Amino acid sequence: MVFSYNWLQSFFRKRLPAPEKLAELLELCAFEVEEVKRVGGDWLLDIDVLPNRAPDCFSHLGIARECAALTNSPIRKPSVSNGAGKFQTRDFVSVEVRDKDACPRYTAKVVTDVKVAPSPKWLKARLKSCGLRSINNVVDIANYVMLETGQPLHAFDSGKLAGNKIIVRFAKHNEKIVTLDEEKYDLDEDILVIADARSPVAIAGIKGGKLPEIDKKTKVVVLESASFNPRIIRKGSRKINLKTDASWRFEHGIDPNLTEFAINRAAFLIQKLAKGKVAKGLIDAYPNKVLPKRIKLDLDYTERLLGIKIPKREVIEILKSLEFKILNSKFNILTIEVPTFRLDLTIPEDLIEEVGRIYGYQNIRAVFPTVSLIPPKKNFSVFWEELTKNILKEAGFTEVYNYSYVSEEQIAIYQSNQHKSAVIELENPMSTEQRYLRPSLILNLLNNIQRNQRYTDEIKIFELGKIFRKTKNVEEAKQLTAAILGDEFYQLKGMVDLLLQKLGISNVWYDSYQSTPEDSKISMWHPKKCAEIKVDHEEIGFLGEISPKIIDHFKIDNRVVVFDIDFEKLQKLCSEETIYQPISKYPAAVRDLAVLVPRGTKVEEVLNKIEVAGGKLIRDVDLFDVYEGEELPEGKKNLAFHIIYQAENRTLASQEVDEIQNKIVKTLEQNPEWEVRK
Amino acid sequence: MPKINLKLLKKQAQREINRAGDLKFLNEIFKKYLGKRGELTLVLRSLERMPKAKRAKVGKEANELKTFLREKFEQKKFSFAKATEDKEEWIDVTRPGKKLVVGHLHPLTQVKRKVEEIFQAMGFSVVEGPEAENEWYNFDALNIPKDHPARDMWDTFYLKDGLLLRTHTTPVDARYMEKNNPPLRIITIGRCFRHEATDASHESNFYQIDGLMAGKDISVANFKAIIQEFFQRFFEKPVEIRMRPSYFPFTEPSFEVDMTCLVCGGKGCSACQQTGWMEMMGAGMMHPNVFKNSGLNPKNWQGFAFGMGLDRLTMMKYKINDIRLLYSGDLRFLKQF
Repeated sequence: MVFSYNWLQSFFRKRLPAPEKLAELLELCAFEVEEVKRVGGDWLLDIDVLPNRAPDCFSHLGIARECAALTNSPIRKPSVSNGAGKFQTRDFVSVEVRDKDACPRYTAKVVTDVKVAPSPKWLKARLKSCGLRSINNVVDIANYVMLETGQPLHAFDSGKLAGNKIIVRFAKHNEKIVTLDEEKYDLDEDILVIADARSPVAIAGIKGGKLPEIDKKTKVVVLESASFNPRIIRKGSRKINLKTDASWRFEHGIDPNLTEFAINRAAFLIQKLAKGKVAKGLIDAYPNKVLPKRIKLDLDYTERLLGIKIPKREVIEILKSLEFKILNSKFNILTIEVPTFRLDLTIPEDLIEEVGRIYGYQNIRAVFPTVSLIPPKKNFSVFWEELTKNILKEAGFTEVYNYSYVSEEQIAIYQSNQHKSAVIELENPMSTEQRYLRPSLILNLLNNIQRNQRYTDEIKIFELGKIFRKTKNVEEAKQLTAAILGDEFYQLKGMVDLLLQKLGISNVWYDSYQSTPEDSKISMWHPKKCAEIKVDHEEIGFLGEISPKIIDHFKIDNRVVVFDIDFEKLQKLCSEETIYQPISKYPAAVRDLAVLVPRGTKVEEVLNKIEVAGGKLIRDVDLFDVYEGEELPEGKKNLAFHIIYQAENRTLASQEVDEIQNKIVKTLEQNPEWEVRK
Repeated sequence: MPKINLKLLKKQAQREINRAGDLKFLNEIFKKYLGKRGELTLVLRSLERMPKAKRAKVGKEANELKTFLREKFEQKKFSFAKATEDKEEWIDVTRPGKKLVVGHLHPLTQVKRKVEEIFQAMGFSVVEGPEAENEWYNFDALNIPKDHPARDMWDTFYLKDGLLLRTHTTPVDARYMEKNNPPLRIITIGRCFRHEATDASHESNFYQIDGLMAGKDISVANFKAIIQEFFQRFFEKPVEIRMRPSYFPFTEPSFEVDMTCLVCGGKGCSACQQTGWMEMMGAGMMHPNVFKNSGLNPKNWQGFAFGMGLDRLTMMKYKINDIRLLYSGDLRFLKQF
């Protein structure tokens, strides 16, 4: 909110610090000041009043009180008028509050013989500085007093109030109102209104109605200064989607004891500026008077919480400067009476904040805590996550962070291949681009590839993040997904092998996927180029080429191979244990073996045969070449292996190795379609 | 046994070594004198059959000659190697090195690690919590009542299933305190969401660092020390912090925390709008109601909590001017880290 420096100065006899200095002081001890701007002979301070201080500081008087505490200068309260004319307020209007909870206090006062006219220049200027438009002197005064005291006021033309009655009640079903700005609103039972004998004349605490509007002919003004239940105003304002300076203030709560001062202040100004005569008496529906709170402040606790000892005398001075009363200061526990305008203060910690900020946080020296030496716990989830990222990075993959949302279009692609139910929709998305929570990391990774393929064709990326699926509840889980551009199934398979090995996971195998009608998960994938990644009997994820249809949707020019691993499962399998395998002292012998097999034969079948036939002297079998080409017979491929023989206790004789090798060859050739090449 | 003339042998060997034109020839000369059946080797072997007095004299000379010749051979060998280097083996050192394919960790990951490392060194445990959160932990437990304007401080994404996307990582504090008694020190870094328009400095999903330290007498002064230490270690500069009053429903007192401007060191410059300070985080002393809501007795415990943007720290560290780059997946950006 914008505050006028001159206006603030008007509450003090003593000069306030210069505007910039004042702003600095406020910033350190109260509120952030966004801007200090010179306008004409005034300076405007744009102050970010904290939301809990709105009740007392959304007003010049409130900020002046802060200035008073910070500069140790007393405040001069503005003049008021209680009324002195021959008329009584109650002769003009009566007030009936039907719901005391919705309207804890309603005060009304009448000013007669009013001459409605344009406001004087200074008044117009002040309103303008604070962003309000000038209407006429009476309306302007109501607004001025709101800016000054924080209490929203409303002025009715007494002559236009049917039955000379003001009734505070909830609107009836289907009731309507036209507001001062000629807007029409449909009301209902949740919305509190000010009504006359006939119909609503204002939306309580939000906006005045057109009907009893002050105009040039208005002679008798009824002023309203009331206190409304913040929740009801908030609800009403949301319902009709109308926020005003008044509703904003009421939503944050206002001290009910402020209404009287504000209404008398407005009466005084109308008398002064519009030649009105203030009627005697005040209509005041205030059944449950709010009394000041008492809070006990333990000085030992204050010291313990702030970490600095502030002398008792100084604490008391600070509290007094904020207009608090010290009821008892004999002991180390002070009894404090807090003025009712400070709605934000209820517990001792609130008072400690007041003491701390006025004392100045900058005066609290940094002190390291003295605590027991408890070492931090190792978080394994984070540990494995970071290790996984390192392994992928070292193997040439680049980490991306994508949004947690996916678009309507992406989900359509995904869902046409998936169960319908599994995705979670946002109630209030920013756009259709971000309508669903990502059920898979693959969708956004494909987007990344699509965008990056313009600049490079070497794309190896991964993401480790949360995905969201709906089962019974919202299910949130860490997922690890990597993608590679190109026909690189085996490169990515090698990556999975390396990753799992480095994470201490053995017994990894790949199962060609046999999809069942219910389990359609697989259909993101190329049906013939996809495998389940399994550790023992548990499936932990998928590896495969993305289905050409989907690649097409994403406008990607090349094949994409992806692995998609359930990280929650993965991290449970991780282990830091490594056991050293003694290195044999005896030399290894290497023999090569090439075998011609039908194209559809799995390498694993051949490997198994070699290993079984070879027995325990085989240390390793390494497939070093797969060849399918013109020179070979139709439908065949050639697999070439290095077979490494080694014993732990002796040097193998060449003859012994040859014997095993021959055994292997014989075993392989038992299959009539397999032919070992010699 | 021929008569041994070691002097002659020396002369002869030296001449031959000098004449040797290449390494192969040199090796042959070596063999001739020092090989298994080399002339000098034979002399040395014959020593044991000599009379004692002679043996000592000849032995000494022969061994000296052996050392001398070995040295000569080495020198010659070295001169060959040097000559080859000079003549044939030349490389262009200005040619670029072979490009190794390496991957890159996202800058947010790198900064997250650094933050965790610093706090872990100060005894803080790293904890995690869910991104899809319920109203209780995101708001109510943190003393942010329903239908209260304070809730407007967080623009929230709601899910159709009744949950919401957490607007901060502070709910993790509440969850942790429910299960663990103080004294405690925790740090949590995680993804948060705000329903707000995106621009160069705002994202609807972002990362927040949240820390909590609670005990019998953890104070504002302690907070100042811990956070100052954190910033000094993070930026590797002697920075100071200052606290200004703020408001968060879950802390009382609450602060806005500023740090000495990194650009000007506090003198005032355009980066800090001439204030000498940069806004870094929100913080405060945990509100008694939060302890209460987590099942702890506020009479027994007190402590500080703070929240800070990981994205902002990352942007400051690497001088990134647009937060959206972090979530763009653009390899031209990511490969710089």
